[in-house]
Amino acid sequence: MSETYHAQAPTTTPEVGGMGHALKRREDPRFIRGKGEYIEDVMLPGMLWLDIVRSPYAHATIRGIDASEALKVPGVLAVITGRDLEAAGLHWMPTLAGDRQMVLPTDTVMYQAQEVAAIVADSRYAAADGVAAVLVDYEPLPVVVDPFKALEPDAPVLRPDRGPDKQTNRIWHWESGDKAAADTALAGSDVVISEDIYIPRIHVASIETCGCIADWDPVREHLTVHMTTQAPHAIRTVFSLVSKIPEHKIRIKTHDIGGGFGGKVPVYPGYVLAVVASLTTGKPVKWIEDRSENLQADSFARDYHVHCDLGTTKDGRLTGLRVRTIADHGYSDAAADPSKFPAGLFNVITGSYDLPAAFVEVDGVYTNKPPGGVAYRCSFRVTEAVHSIERMVDIAAHQLGIDPAELRMKNFIQPDQFPYHSATGWEYDSGNYPAALRKAMEIIGYDELRREQAEKRARGELMGIGISSFTEIVGAGPSHTFDILGIKMFDSCEIRIHPTGSAIARLGVQSQGQGHETTFAQIIAEELGIPATDITIEEGDTDTAPYGLGTYASRSTPTAGAATAIAARKIRDKARLLAAHLLEANPDDLEWTNGKWSVKGSPDRFKTIQEIAFAAYTNHPQGMEAGLEAVDYYDPPNLTFPFGSYICVVDIDKGTGQVKVRRFVAVDDCGNIINPMIVDGQIHGGLTMGLAPALYEAITYDEQGNNQAGTFLDYLVPTAMETPAWETDKTITPSPHHPLGAKGVGESATVGAPPAIANAVVDALWHLGVRHIDIPITPQKVWAILREKGVTA
Amino acid sequence: MHFEGSVEIRAPRDRVWAFVTDPNQVGGCGPGVESIEVIDDRHFRARAKVGIGFISARFLVDLEMAELTPPERAVIRARGQAPGSAVDATASMNLRDGAAVATTTMDWAADVTIAGTIASLGGRLIEGTANKMIGQTFDCMRSRLEA
Repeated sequence: MSETYHAQAPTTTPEVGGMGHALKRREDPRFIRGKGEYIEDVMLPGMLWLDIVRSPYAHATIRGIDASEALKVPGVLAVITGRDLEAAGLHWMPTLAGDRQMVLPTDTVMYQAQEVAAIVADSRYAAADGVAAVLVDYEPLPVVVDPFKALEPDAPVLRPDRGPDKQTNRIWHWESGDKAAADTALAGSDVVISEDIYIPRIHVASIETCGCIADWDPVREHLTVHMTTQAPHAIRTVFSLVSKIPEHKIRIKTHDIGGGFGGKVPVYPGYVLAVVASLTTGKPVKWIEDRSENLQADSFARDYHVHCDLGTTKDGRLTGLRVRTIADHGYSDAAADPSKFPAGLFNVITGSYDLPAAFVEVDGVYTNKPPGGVAYRCSFRVTEAVHSIERMVDIAAHQLGIDPAELRMKNFIQPDQFPYHSATGWEYDSGNYPAALRKAMEIIGYDELRREQAEKRARGELMGIGISSFTEIVGAGPSHTFDILGIKMFDSCEIRIHPTGSAIARLGVQSQGQGHETTFAQIIAEELGIPATDITIEEGDTDTAPYGLGTYASRSTPTAGAATAIAARKIRDKARLLAAHLLEANPDDLEWTNGKWSVKGSPDRFKTIQEIAFAAYTNHPQGMEAGLEAVDYYDPPNLTFPFGSYICVVDIDKGTGQVKVRRFVAVDDCGNIINPMIVDGQIHGGLTMGLAPALYEAITYDEQGNNQAGTFLDYLVPTAMETPAWETDKTITPSPHHPLGAKGVGESATVGAPPAIANAVVDALWHLGVRHIDIPITPQKVWAILREKGVTA
Repeated sequence: MHFEGSVEIRAPRDRVWAFVTDPNQVGGCGPGVESIEVIDDRHFRARAKVGIGFISARFLVDLEMAELTPPERAVIRARGQAPGSAVDATASMNLRDGAAVATTTMDWAADVTIAGTIASLGGRLIEGTANKMIGQTFDCMRSRLEA
């Protein structure tokens, strides 16, 4: 734990491929050859298919379900309704946030596209024909889509199933920070900047939709569920608790996962229905969503209505922050947030700034929309927090007439303030914010761009420069604070060294494209000197992998990555004893270098890890256990706080309102880097996923609660056509408490990018009297603003 | 969605009234109607195929003559379902003698709520499609009544 790590140059050879080597991803050969195995590729003998009848109404009473015609469809074997599940007590299920949601409704549907009944058939086509033949008698009810209206006294109570003291659409109220201190600070401020910022509902839109095959073996009384999940172990426990099937009789097995982004953490009704169908028929049953089902019915992210008051002195010293937020969670609070954090880690909203006082409050609200609150591309609501504070700081700079870079520099938490205690209670582990911003400004040529902007503005051209200096908070989390449904958020790794010196490691996390098979092998290579290519990494089989909470919120390297390093060090400790035995030396006289234990002062007397591994099975000393393996369950002492500074340059077409991202420089700091190529890839992907909500993506509803973005025609996920050429660079500020000095990185760019783009657009339009534009900043919005301000092409 | 309008029909009011209150006659002019089943003198059921943009759906629609004041006013309520979609509508029509002899003026209004897949995926096209369907329906009625 006390070992310190190099910041840059690898200490292992390229053949070993430890930390810092840009090893090509070992999973890619199968992906680029089309040989990945996704859930839809898995076919089991005798497998049946399940398809789902969905509600056209966003809120309605079910007066009856007539399945008689569906049962006449050739190939249809069974129809499952909420009443059937009610008989087994399975019509409701718990969410990971401690709320509950319907598997199938018995009386009332709560959102458009909600599951109403399931058809089991011997082919996918027959199942779909069966769905079309089910007649449901609905009586429409008043629809509540606006969370503010949901809180009005005369609003219908959407969840009367909750206790008598909870007959309100307010799910919970959550506070953080010191209200009195924030109020006092704001009252004493020269200027208070206030703004309403809406961060719209967006969807995960992973290219692989959700699906599973439930396979109940009635002879062995054993359930295998092949599924697309980011958290297989937690799912197994939830399945056992809900179904009462003993946990050792349940095996969750993942395959390759085509994107998760948080959307594959929750349990969806389709999974449960497939299990019920398999239990009923004794056959494997597959359920796969189609694209529109995925976009309309799966859990959503964001939907935060944020009001911020930011206090500042006249010369731009920030004094205090007060934030009031309405969080639209749809009809069920299905977030996978840690139980003490119903609004995730949104209270990291003080961001990169030394704010002496802050107070944050959030109200979760029910509406007639699908379950919301998924931590999507955002590390538990950090996207919402970062977008809000970065917009507010930019508005403050413009309003005070101070350059946004200068205002940030003036208010950054300084390097000597770490570990830094934020006004909302976090301990930031390490950071050097001025260095990252300075680097980004140098790369992009900030001063020259400001000159260019002034010239263009004089000519009537619209060019903007936007900065975002974000702080992320990832790696949940320490067991004293973090759990999901009571399960602590540690993570795990078990390593076994084979007699011939190669190895297998199994982890409690679950890759969905992050490159775990490569990076975790590199950690072991770093620690033990075994070439990364000699190490198999396995995840996602709950029968073999050690228990863990899974991969989301950039937690794998901070938790399971640390467990991998510690488990490898345990192996190294045992290897030392084995080496001492082989070398007939005192263990204390040995030193570890580059995969060998050697006698101090006699470098030619050594044993390689491979020789030691062989001895562990062939020549171990009496009294020592044979074998060379270790497991570690890592409970992180703190979260990690990656950060970065992004600068974006936009040009706006006055005729069409189109925003063109001309340049985008991203300087990231995720501490020590395991594989720089993979980190760069994650940042490229993350930036694209940050561009998306900034300019394109939003799930909207009409007043009847109909989802208006149910296809990729209406929900624009950026392609190579929309994506600019990202310019990435880095600074390295190791985490002081992580055994590798590493921090998470997967979501940094998705968190940091949107405000850089939004700030650039507003920067281009501020002189026209534009103060704020909610994302997504579509051409329609900009065009309307330009016309309103009298700007024409 | 609310629609309303006024139509001049070159046929006497009694004849128009008889036509619009007979499901088998007026039903034939409904958009995409494939069959009409009369349940009783106030209730009937229609099967209709409707396409909006790239989506088409076969609706099963229950209709009720909710108000009949011959030969002046009729109110029809309809509730239809297709897989994943639903439509609820209330249409009223008021008949009066037209300016010319043996003509009728029909003032009509309809409130339509569309839910589900069609509203979700075809939302942008609904209003235009609905206007087109209404136009076709009245053209059909006129051509049959004026024949």
